[in-house]
Amino acid sequence: MKQTLDTRQINAFVDGELGLESQLEIERHMRLDADLRERVEGARQLRSAVREHAEYHEMPSALRERLELLAEPKAQKPAASPRAAALVERWWGWRPAAASLALVAIGALAMNLATLQASRNDRLLDEVVSSHVRSTLGQHLVDVASSDHHTVKPWLSSKLDFSPPVNELHLPDCEFLGGRVDYLDGRPVAALVYRKGRHIVNAFVWPGTARDSKADFSTERGFQTARWSQGAMTHWVVSDVNREEFDAIVRAIQSAESAK
Amino acid sequence: MGDDENRRRFVQLALPHAGAAYNLARWLTQNEQDAQDVVQEAMMRALRYMGKFHGDNARPWLLQIVRHACFSWLKENRPADRAFLDDDDDSLQEIAAPASDEPPSIALRNAERVEINQAIAALPVAYREVLVLRELEDLSYTDIARIAEIPVGTVMSRLSRARSLMRTALMPGARPVLRTVPRAVNGGNAP
Repeated sequence: MKQTLDTRQINAFVDGELGLESQLEIERHMRLDADLRERVEGARQLRSAVREHAEYHEMPSALRERLELLAEPKAQKPAASPRAAALVERWWGWRPAAASLALVAIGALAMNLATLQASRNDRLLDEVVSSHVRSTLGQHLVDVASSDHHTVKPWLSSKLDFSPPVNELHLPDCEFLGGRVDYLDGRPVAALVYRKGRHIVNAFVWPGTARDSKADFSTERGFQTARWSQGAMTHWVVSDVNREEFDAIVRAIQSAESAK
Repeated sequence: MGDDENRRRFVQLALPHAGAAYNLARWLTQNEQDAQDVVQEAMMRALRYMGKFHGDNARPWLLQIVRHACFSWLKENRPADRAFLDDDDDSLQEIAAPASDEPPSIALRNAERVEINQAIAALPVAYREVLVLRELEDLSYTDIARIAEIPVGTVMSRLSRARSLMRTALMPGARPVLRTVPRAVNGGNAP
């Protein structure tokens, strides 16, 4: 018996995972076999030592709160925490002013708005640039100001119905300022904000098609923009940096993303 | 309506197991912040797929999602750790057998809390996960098999091997050299 009983069976016996018949059979053998008794005793000691001493990691309360927030309908979210409510209130309170301000800016910048095309990307391009302009004109550049993606990502995830990729960019003279929730293409999106030199860069992310695509660059009202799909996310980046620096930023975002 | 129903079931069925989800993620990623990110992502996924869950015990279902998220994370961030999974389980069983023939040590009972936690943390991830699911979550072999997406026989092999490694790590003076001796003797006697 001893030789046919491998360690796996002894472990399963100690765990009570053998069928009743096999459990009883091993018990019978144990009465006769001192060596088997010793092996079973050894397995039991280890089992109870691990159960007694292994640390059961308690969930941090911040995570628990975020998870509970997940379960609440989006419309009731502001009520969940005073801070979130204040943020939303500020955002909405500030929006009409920002919208009119942006309209003035758009009107001044682009005389050819009348030729605005109906296609989705052109409309989006317009939305993205407007959103970028709004963010740089108003006070509302970031909702969460942190250069640490470990702080920004969970915050954004808790406000959105997806978890955006958040990367710090390792470029000279480039700083990660934080993130905010913005509204594009008829849905809430994540906006990650970087500063390159004196220029602000907005990188928008939201769930998109699964198929990756190359960056499509274009210039709109003097702003550099790029859009692409990566990791099932739609990415739009916009800034007023020069073209070379903009290319470097887009490449850095893409490679940070694909390096994951 | 469908969304409300999903959320209601999420709160009722999945959320109560968030603690288990975190403990598993924390043991697999070995890092508090990463565990939080992984759990958050997994819970969002659980909410999205709540409609696909049928049954009343969502714990194995949720832990399977969390485990999956952890391994995606490991694949991206700790590719070396995960490579171990490709090992053949039959060979593990062979290696596992001899270690059990070492006499159980009194020293084991005195093993410090710290040592035990370090020994678990040092286990290759494929063994760590079955041990955590068994000893900390007290799950049955069947549930572990489902969560780790392996046959029950493989659960037995890995658990057995995990415990052998634990015993070796916890026993003072137990070195690989010592282990080869009983192994050779046993090999000669085995049928």
